[in-house]
Amino acid sequence: MAAVTVGSLLQNPTLLLRPKSKTLLKPSRSLDSSRNRKVLHSRSSCFCSFKPSRSSHVVRANSSETALVDNFDTSSSDDVLYKETFPVKRIEKVEGNIFIRLDQSKNQQDWQLTVGCSLPGKWILHWGVSYLGDSGSEWDQPPKNMRPPGSVPIRDYAIDTPLEKRSKGEMFHEVKIDFNPNSEIAAIHFVLKDVETGAWYQHRGRDFKVPLVDYLKDDGNTVGAKREFGVWSGALQQFSNALHKAEASPPDSPNNESKDSKSNNRPLEGFYVEQSIVKEVSVDNFVSVAVRKSPETAKLVLYLETDIPGDVVVHWGICRDDAKRWEIPAAPYPPETTLFKNKALRTLLQTKATGNRSGALFTLDEEVFGFLFVLKLDDNTWLNFKEDDFYVPLYGKSSVLGQHGQSDSTSEEISSKSYTDGIINEIRNLVTGLSTEKIQKTQTKEAQESILQEIEQLAAEAYSIFRSSIVTYPEEDVSETDTDTIQPAVKISTGTGTGFEILLQGFNWESHKSGRWYLELKERASEISSLGFTVIWLPPPTESVSPEGYMPKDLYNLNSRYGTIDELMELVKSLHEVGLKVLGDVVLNHRCAHSKNQNGIWNIFGGRLNWDDRAVVGDDPHFQGRGNKSSGDNFHAAPNIDHSQEFVRKDLKEWLGWLRQEIGYDGWRLDFVRGFWGGYVKDYLDASEPYFAVGEYWDSLSYTYGEMDHNQDAHRQRIIDWINATNGTAGAFDVTTKGILHSALERCEYWRLSDQKGKPPGVVGWWPSRAVTFIENHDTGSTQGHWKFPGGKEMQGYAYILTHPGTPAVFYDHIFSHYRSEMAALISIRNRNQIHCRSKIKIVKAERDVYAAIIDEKVTMKIGPGHYEPPSGPQRCSVALEGKDYKVWEAS
Amino acid sequence: MEVSLMSSSQAKICKTELGCRDLRSCFGKTNDQNIIFSRKPNSVSFYSQISRLRKSGLRFSVKAVDSEPILDARSPTSSKSLDRLRLFVGLPLDTVSNGSTINHARAIAAGLKALKLLGVEGVELPVWWGVVENEEMGKYQWSGYLAVAEMVQKAGLKLHVSLCFHASSGPKIPLPKWVMKIGESRSSIFFTDRSGQHYRECLSLAVDDLPVLDGKTPIQVYQDFCKSFKSAFSPFIGSTITGISMGLGPDGELRYPSHHKLAQSGTVTGVGEFQCYGTNMLNLLKQHAEANGNPLWGLGGPHDAPSYDQPPNSNNFFNDHGGSWESPYGDFFLSWYSNELVSHGNRLLSLASSIFGDSEVDVYGKLPLMHSWYKTRAHPSELTAGFYNTASKDGYEAVAEMFARNSCKLILPGMDLSDEHQPHYSLSSPESLLSQIQTTCSKLGVEVAGQNLASGSPGGLEQIKKNMLGDNPIDLFTYQRMGAHFFSPEHFPLFTEFIRSLNQPELHPDDMPSEEVEATESIQTSSDPNIHVQTA
Repeated sequence: MAAVTVGSLLQNPTLLLRPKSKTLLKPSRSLDSSRNRKVLHSRSSCFCSFKPSRSSHVVRANSSETALVDNFDTSSSDDVLYKETFPVKRIEKVEGNIFIRLDQSKNQQDWQLTVGCSLPGKWILHWGVSYLGDSGSEWDQPPKNMRPPGSVPIRDYAIDTPLEKRSKGEMFHEVKIDFNPNSEIAAIHFVLKDVETGAWYQHRGRDFKVPLVDYLKDDGNTVGAKREFGVWSGALQQFSNALHKAEASPPDSPNNESKDSKSNNRPLEGFYVEQSIVKEVSVDNFVSVAVRKSPETAKLVLYLETDIPGDVVVHWGICRDDAKRWEIPAAPYPPETTLFKNKALRTLLQTKATGNRSGALFTLDEEVFGFLFVLKLDDNTWLNFKEDDFYVPLYGKSSVLGQHGQSDSTSEEISSKSYTDGIINEIRNLVTGLSTEKIQKTQTKEAQESILQEIEQLAAEAYSIFRSSIVTYPEEDVSETDTDTIQPAVKISTGTGTGFEILLQGFNWESHKSGRWYLELKERASEISSLGFTVIWLPPPTESVSPEGYMPKDLYNLNSRYGTIDELMELVKSLHEVGLKVLGDVVLNHRCAHSKNQNGIWNIFGGRLNWDDRAVVGDDPHFQGRGNKSSGDNFHAAPNIDHSQEFVRKDLKEWLGWLRQEIGYDGWRLDFVRGFWGGYVKDYLDASEPYFAVGEYWDSLSYTYGEMDHNQDAHRQRIIDWINATNGTAGAFDVTTKGILHSALERCEYWRLSDQKGKPPGVVGWWPSRAVTFIENHDTGSTQGHWKFPGGKEMQGYAYILTHPGTPAVFYDHIFSHYRSEMAALISIRNRNQIHCRSKIKIVKAERDVYAAIIDEKVTMKIGPGHYEPPSGPQRCSVALEGKDYKVWEAS
Repeated sequence: MEVSLMSSSQAKICKTELGCRDLRSCFGKTNDQNIIFSRKPNSVSFYSQISRLRKSGLRFSVKAVDSEPILDARSPTSSKSLDRLRLFVGLPLDTVSNGSTINHARAIAAGLKALKLLGVEGVELPVWWGVVENEEMGKYQWSGYLAVAEMVQKAGLKLHVSLCFHASSGPKIPLPKWVMKIGESRSSIFFTDRSGQHYRECLSLAVDDLPVLDGKTPIQVYQDFCKSFKSAFSPFIGSTITGISMGLGPDGELRYPSHHKLAQSGTVTGVGEFQCYGTNMLNLLKQHAEANGNPLWGLGGPHDAPSYDQPPNSNNFFNDHGGSWESPYGDFFLSWYSNELVSHGNRLLSLASSIFGDSEVDVYGKLPLMHSWYKTRAHPSELTAGFYNTASKDGYEAVAEMFARNSCKLILPGMDLSDEHQPHYSLSSPESLLSQIQTTCSKLGVEVAGQNLASGSPGGLEQIKKNMLGDNPIDLFTYQRMGAHFFSPEHFPLFTEFIRSLNQPELHPDDMPSEEVEATESIQTSSDPNIHVQTA
């Protein structure tokens, strides 16, 4: 299992860069949000947002170096107040190939393995062999006669052999290993090391393995000729370049067949493969700054110059005191200067006519305390100084010369810093602490660095997963799974499920008509699951006086107009098979009687739960119950059940347990929960332990003079109160949101979608994790249509609820309509961006004709006919979905 | 230590080539003179692990150039106490929550590696009865746990297994289904309090030897479980698995469930209740009373004991002066009540030591730290939990003696608790209680291992450190527990710092120069100019 994670750490590029310089390891704030992701190491992608990506650009100040700034009038050097050259290290990527060739040597007795690399630099082959009969994956030292000249044994298990240039002047480095195939050697293992950077180049996160006998188990890291049997095909697929296959082996090897290895009857075959590698090479550049006093204007003139190629933008400001708070100075500014978000200025450096340098001249007031800047390169990477801004002291410079800025609030992208950086910094401190010993051998520090860095990364990884943990199965090969697709999930609670649920109401008001709904739905099970739903709500299953099922009679009789109990069980099974959780629609508020009492009132129940009138609430004259007063509102069409009776509750709990057990329901949709106290619901949920439960708490919104009030706090408060009464064990349908969406869309009053505090105005704004948002159900829409969502605007409604926090519920009629593909796209956006019931939402616009919000800083959405575009900040967005009066963007 | 070092510095190779098994094999395969490793066969010491952090680079260079004699010449100079100290970290309670599923496997794998690199000795794994033998009696599902053991082994860590014959309320891991089903019709298998409430998170000790589980006694069922565990994990026992804790009661601890809701801090507001009201407990009490010639004393528990959340003086039993606990009846009852608990512990620990005694593992049992009201004379919390420990009587002697008899080691939780962080009104003193138990244990030669109650308690890490290095130094500490909080930015750096500070006494400046010389020499031994680069 451990190797598994190794694999995931060292994902595909099979390149592990072990940065050498200490500063290089430091996370750079400035690159946090603005860098070009592609420049980054493959590894950082594993760590989601937790870990700030490692800087690929490092700046080191070195005041002992004092390169003069050219082009600057240094003739009158006495009025040069400040002069500093900052060496800057950039990382450039160089691509090349590793090639591995196995062929017969001239004498046709021995074989030769050649490993080469097309990149310049110093390369070492770190290698060993395994012998026939070895178990495990340990290496052994190869026999002496196999070791090429210059080899150095590394303890007793490996050899380091430097790669030599093939000939003078050629870039190609290679090493040749001769061996006799009749020896006991089963395989040659190696990795390639870049001496300059300390990077190890591996194959699929493991050593390269060249098997010399056939029956070796393929561990996935094998390199070799592709056989028809496909023995190593898995490994080869991973190669970007498998140029030659066995068929193309050198022409001088027709005798292959006779060169059987000792204990195998299959011949050794020559092969040649290449694998592309990327090496990051650091390039030294500099930034020079000189300041002098302008004799004419009594102002300071600052000249900045660099030899970094390409467009370089200085992102700068000034500060007026030690706090180094960025401010924007008064004009004049150099040419090509723009204002950036009122926080800083951006000046494009002008390329000098002579040479490849660029620079700019800044004129500053004398009382300016300091000049702060960072550099932005054309590949959208940032250069800063030891994780801070470059700082040029202008006032009292002699005392602060060379000191760098401490500003922590610079421009937006520079200061944006995940709080989890804490770990890294702490561990940094640990390193510093450790290395303050008088022994300061760089190597020691580097090794410590790398260990601590590794610990930190592992901790970060573990943290990010634990925070949103998933369940994996041991038989799964975790190493092969993509770390980028970690599916966060939170603790399951009955009110929220995992928090990532998307609900489908799996029926409408007409579904009972065919008499075979369960069968029909069963056929769609896999379709529903593939659309991205996680939970499906089935119609009320009990025998009912009304065909739709909401007037239950014998709770244990599950033959209904939707199908038989057996069909239901089959359906639930199929739904489970495709990974859906199933909610049963349970009507607990009321129950229809089987017979009349002595007064001719229907209040005597039959079936397995043969209650009498003590089970009926006492305050509904229609049914003359002898129970207590109802704990909620009365539903007058049928006897309301008195949940305060112990025996009633016991029976209902048993029934729910039976439904869970026998039918396999995972949770409940609780009908008309307004009719009884939420505390009883909690009791039922505690007893039946559903995976998810949602209650239908329905009452009317508040209107003044026929117009819906903007403030529906009282309405949502009542729903919240109910959820509270259940102790949060159940969610509730967010009727408030539906109501407000109605008004907003119908009347083009999108301002309604933000409450006084800038939050969503429905239940979802107050208790998102318990809000089950919906726009339509069997009661409001379908053929009952007593409160139908504004026609033609359904997609706006779904663009809202499917991007917002809360648990969205989709109505059957909508998903299986012409909206289907749009809705599927919305659902997949939700899933892809892992929006969950507690996602953070920021409403950025709520105006007459447009509403826009950003969710989890990943998804931006707008609805309404008005215009909205996400800010063109460094975090680029791309349109993910667009439809009539709505648009959704994803952060790219 | 080179082990960890390798897995980091040369990391990728080693991890992969060796599958991270026992990294020793990396060096030691054909080499028997590896003193560093042979010095302590079963455990690479904490000291050496930690010092790696500091010296790794050099050490590595030494290793890399194959200058072994120099390395071997270096003998450990660290203090013995630290050399022995082994730190474990608990894995999440729900590491495996149904038979074959590892929860957050990837996080655990990463966590294991991080711990290994930090120099942690191993991890503790709770193995739940309700997970392994959930469906029916005798049908065991070990696959998930075996996979975890393999992960741990591959990470080069040790494993301490806690056999949990109790249930967990959060994360919810109940007792086996078939046991709960029996319990539905036969609630007397559970502990029962005065008001008739059952505690369904473990079986009552009164049924230990009654054939209540489909004809078998719980002891027999536990025994079969342990045997099955032993055979399933035989490849790991003695190598990867170095310790096994036997679950003894609620939360695995040897106690009565006297406080239904033991707070995270371990501090409780009330005195708790005696749990002697189950039919079977009452039978035992009755027999005992009749045998003592006081049949009337066997009809129930003390009538004047307060209820769960009440303070001691709210009724007469625990009153500091003139309380019934000091009466002959009180002594009769408390002796019986605590003896039953010790006998129960004895049954389980002798079972465990008979099964695991021939293996290279240490068997542990866990005690609770019932520190509330310790400053009163009666120690009500301890009394209701089954420890007859008062101002005038050492109740832990019998317990420690029982541990000694079974050659078991004792785990004490709450090493992170300090008196100053306890609410004043609870008259609590975790530190005094800890020290009392430790003293008693050392008198009887019972080794004590430590645990914390919860990570993140105020001043917890400092307190742990104090306990680890203090007057009664302990050689094994299990830190609870891996999870989101453990790796969170609020906690993990503190933990790292904690580990580092444990090593502080080792930071001898004169330790390093010699290293430097060695390193320099070792580099000189190499003729190849490239070699020193190996350390990078």
